[in-house]
Amino acid sequence: MEKQIHIEPVTRVEGHGKITVFLDDAGDVRDAQFHVTELRGFEKFCEGRTVWEMPGLTARICGICPVSHILASAKAGDAILSVRVPESGILLRRLMNLGQMVQSHALSFFYLSAPDLLLGWDADPATRNVVGLVTANPDLARKGIRLRAYGQQIIDRLGGKRIHPAWAVPGGVNQALSKEDHAWILAGLPEAMETIRETLDLFKSAFVSEEARGVLSDFDSMYMGLVAPDGSWEHYDGLLRIVDREGNNVVAGHDPSRYFDIIHEASQPWSYLKFPFYAPMGFGTEGMYRVGPLGRVNVCERFGTPKADEELEAFRALTTGRSGKVFDYHYTRLLEILASLERIEKLLADERILSPRVRAEAGINELEGVGIHEAPRGTLIHHYKVDQNGIIEKANFIVSTGHNNLGMNRAVQEIAKMYIQKGNITEGILNRIEGGIRAYDPCLSCSVHAVGQMPLDVRIVDAEGETVKTLTRG
Amino acid sequence: MDLVIGIGNRLRGDDGIGPSIVEGLPAQTGVTCRVVHQLTPELVMQLVEVDRVLFVDAAISGEAPRIEAVCPRPHSGLGHAMTPAALMDLARTICHKTPKAWLLTVPGIDFEFGERFSPVATAHLPEATHLLHAWLAGSVPVTT
Repeated sequence: MEKQIHIEPVTRVEGHGKITVFLDDAGDVRDAQFHVTELRGFEKFCEGRTVWEMPGLTARICGICPVSHILASAKAGDAILSVRVPESGILLRRLMNLGQMVQSHALSFFYLSAPDLLLGWDADPATRNVVGLVTANPDLARKGIRLRAYGQQIIDRLGGKRIHPAWAVPGGVNQALSKEDHAWILAGLPEAMETIRETLDLFKSAFVSEEARGVLSDFDSMYMGLVAPDGSWEHYDGLLRIVDREGNNVVAGHDPSRYFDIIHEASQPWSYLKFPFYAPMGFGTEGMYRVGPLGRVNVCERFGTPKADEELEAFRALTTGRSGKVFDYHYTRLLEILASLERIEKLLADERILSPRVRAEAGINELEGVGIHEAPRGTLIHHYKVDQNGIIEKANFIVSTGHNNLGMNRAVQEIAKMYIQKGNITEGILNRIEGGIRAYDPCLSCSVHAVGQMPLDVRIVDAEGETVKTLTRG
Repeated sequence: MDLVIGIGNRLRGDDGIGPSIVEGLPAQTGVTCRVVHQLTPELVMQLVEVDRVLFVDAAISGEAPRIEAVCPRPHSGLGHAMTPAALMDLARTICHKTPKAWLLTVPGIDFEFGERFSPVATAHLPEATHLLHAWLAGSVPVTT
């Protein structure tokens, strides 16, 4: 008799989702699906609003990633205004995106995932959270909290507030960086750098073995992210690159404004989250690619900063070709915090960042615009079509969690097959399945433009489609 | 040094009453005001730099605004939303220091979408504001 296992709700991710595991007659895993069960429809109700409103409006999609949507939206607006953003405006946007990278990655690692890593996959769910982490390692918790606060403060000082800052606008940004804030950000760098250095050393002391890194599955896929023209790590601009598992370029450098040449989206009846795929290879396993920290690290040739490049060399030495391990999302997240801090230092050393000329003004000069940059969780695309007055006629958002939808489903399938045999299910196994999702750091609020936290349901269904077991958490 | 933190969402009816009260407070020396949607661990870093903290939040129960002392208490909640007591406990655990803390609650009845307060919450505003000023003056009758 076939059975289904449902994990619902998934905890410590943003939004609502559930997992269904289908068992065959022998109680082994036949298939597994990660469902996103919410719908908000931001794309639809943005229609009729002006392009100038879009950064502030789309920021409300999420309380974790507002900066990412503001920047992608402002860039789409730049294209519609057909303006060249002043250099200082670009530097400031880059600075804010790096602050976002630091705070979001710190949240993911220290608050959401470190409890799994430091307390163990089989720890009691009642203690396997940030409170348990604090109890087990208060010094690490304090440093992680301070690191996230540092990233948030960068956003706060640039945008006036840390959540939903109405700061980046089509044509640039609406406020220059003060010398006082410049000095504050600079002064905070040494401590932040020390924290990530210590964390990376701690992480590497425990989690570089094949066994530790393989716990959340290892499978082939392509990887996508922006790269600079010289092939180095990029987060704000550049070209779209796709590589295969061996690290060979599938797409060396595609114009991001024509993303639709290579990325198409599919739907499935069991999830509100769309499934983007690499169009030339078709929907499914062949066309699956992954984005985010692992994607960016796998597509770039180098970080372009000394400390991060040294760490990248050590990371690459662990793998032939490119890593397919889901667990390595954690590792590469830490590498990206280090790289972001080094980039912040470089930006602050550029005196143009203090220029008061931060915005170009213009009217509607194009009726279509695409804005792409790298959000912490992966490539974020805003695509608008407007009328002569700049009123949105059509909006399309492809967010990182969508890009990773096929990858997350594959991870759930692989982990379920690794740990569920003959219908035997324990809490530790559920933790690992959930951990596989959490490693991607999905933001379901963004991906379906839904609100709230994401609890997890696990449901087991037999061959006749009857639920025989449900585990609910959240 | 005092810290006053208004907690709530201005777009969810009476839930916005804490932020509204705190934002209406005139600037004064020795008092820092913050408005947040929810309490997050990073606030610990501000907590440990002050002598006293007052959390101002809407409540779904109660007859009238009230102030009560907050003692550190562990909480096994999710990653990034905490209670005042849990935040205090976090401060005690990782920084070995806590300010004296109080919670001012204001009863509300309507937490649906909207920026207006219900008549019930509106009626409580003067008393809540009075309690806040009394707390700042150090003369508040505290219910424990």
